[in-house]
Amino acid sequence: MSTLAEPGHQPVRRSPAEAPAIQLTDISVCFEMPAERIPSFKEYVLRRLTGRIERRQLWALRDVSLEVGSGEVLGVVGRNGAGKSTLLKVISRVLHPNHGHLVIRGNVAPLLELGAGFHFDLTGRENVYLNAALLGQPIREVEEHFEEVVDFSELREFIDFPVRNYSSGMLTRLGFSVATMIRPDILLIDEVLAVGDARFQEKCLQRINEFRSFGTTIILVSHQTSEVERHCDRALWIDHGKVAAFGDTQDVVAHYRRALDETDEEGL
Amino acid sequence: MPSDSSQSNPTVASRPVYDSAQRRHPFAEEAYELWRFRELVLLWASRNIKLRYKRSVLGILWTLIEPLMLLTILTVVFSTLFRFQLERYPIYLLSGLLLFDFFSRTTLQIIEEIVASQGLASRVYAPRTVFAVATVLTYLTNWAIALIPLLAIMAILGQPFSVALLTVPAGMILTSLFALGVGLLVATLGASFHDFKLTYQVLLTAWLYATPIIYPLEIVPEKFHRFFKLNPLFYLCETVRDPAFLSTVAPTNVWLIACVVSVGTAILGWWVFTTRRGVLEHLG
Repeated sequence: MSTLAEPGHQPVRRSPAEAPAIQLTDISVCFEMPAERIPSFKEYVLRRLTGRIERRQLWALRDVSLEVGSGEVLGVVGRNGAGKSTLLKVISRVLHPNHGHLVIRGNVAPLLELGAGFHFDLTGRENVYLNAALLGQPIREVEEHFEEVVDFSELREFIDFPVRNYSSGMLTRLGFSVATMIRPDILLIDEVLAVGDARFQEKCLQRINEFRSFGTTIILVSHQTSEVERHCDRALWIDHGKVAAFGDTQDVVAHYRRALDETDEEGL
Repeated sequence: MPSDSSQSNPTVASRPVYDSAQRRHPFAEEAYELWRFRELVLLWASRNIKLRYKRSVLGILWTLIEPLMLLTILTVVFSTLFRFQLERYPIYLLSGLLLFDFFSRTTLQIIEEIVASQGLASRVYAPRTVFAVATVLTYLTNWAIALIPLLAIMAILGQPFSVALLTVPAGMILTSLFALGVGLLVATLGASFHDFKLTYQVLLTAWLYATPIIYPLEIVPEKFHRFFKLNPLFYLCETVRDPAFLSTVAPTNVWLIACVVSVGTAILGWWVFTTRRGVLEHLG
């Protein structure tokens, strides 16, 4: 899809189909926070003058290098706070890494928090346009696909009501429909497959599989290792911001499970 | 590797490529990204305007009534209390007051929008200046609508409508640039310290009284004039007030200073916001 194409400033590649969709080299993300919270401007100025500001660094990702081939489905496992979501944020460009080199080929559709940016006082219709624009879609594309979005979300009767009156299921349905309006080159999924009821969820999976068969690269973050085993070509295990294992899905998941069992025995 | 990874993708050649090694300087990058997201700017501004009118019962009428009510209060208070001799005071007052009202609301709202967009920006990628520029557009629209009561008062008081009025939009655009620059500066601080907005609000009140808007500069002793002339809003006010109040275009040197200060402030604000932002992001 050339919806985000920026003609004239991208390098021309001789065999673009072979170039990996995602290349991360030594990516590090550091969250720097004051050792104690200084929320007040007056206090900050005072402490600055007296030179008493300590900072603590927290490395969410450290020297992460990986390549994801075009059309590949990569599963990401790891404990809470290991850096999985940070990784997705780096790929979706929400976070700039402090160090490292990052190449992303293709447009990225993040299914991170569906309907992020919906405004409750606006109608479903208005939110479709706004959300699509937030995701970087041109208005003419939205106009072209609007009917499909409404059909897919099954919210035709409610589309002109403020989304304040929508249930959370309806919100995620609309969010999913907008985010997947146009087939992306890269799809990021962060545990959001719980979209609406079982039947609608089935529909979403179908759409994702369709994307996959057309060559969309998928990164799936999940706590359910069985889900990763079922869907993914390769897997990545992140632990404390570092790559603990990367490669064959069965191997990585087995390693990860063993590590989980061990820490359980230690009583953590 | 699955079989479909080798499948050739017909659109692959036109895929946008993002390479962090080829990133421009944040100052240019942000400008470029803003341009790429220009449709979002317009949608966001129209969202703000829609919400504003949806929430108030009188809707767009309120934009017309509000300045008139303010005007009545200030006219009664200042022309009876201070008794300075200024003919057609309502025109003098309202033309300056609309500018200050635009400036203070825009800069305060930019702080609010940037703070609010922190949550959004950690989930969806969009250049943050979108929200600042959309805020400027929102209040600029509001200002344009509020010119209707000003024109009505000019008609009532028999003030001639001169050709000089055509220069008012230029003054409004310069004020917008100034407001954007100041807004980005205060938003950089406001994003880190949630009490900064209160500090800034106090500052704005002082700024209003330090600018000859409610009173004419003439009532200030001559020796203090040079201090008043350090205030950028002083010049910006003249660019939009002179055509309405004096039926003349503001003097050339006023326009020159207004241009330099506005463009300079916009560049400074953009610079600070785009280069400091990465740091602020990681402050969490």
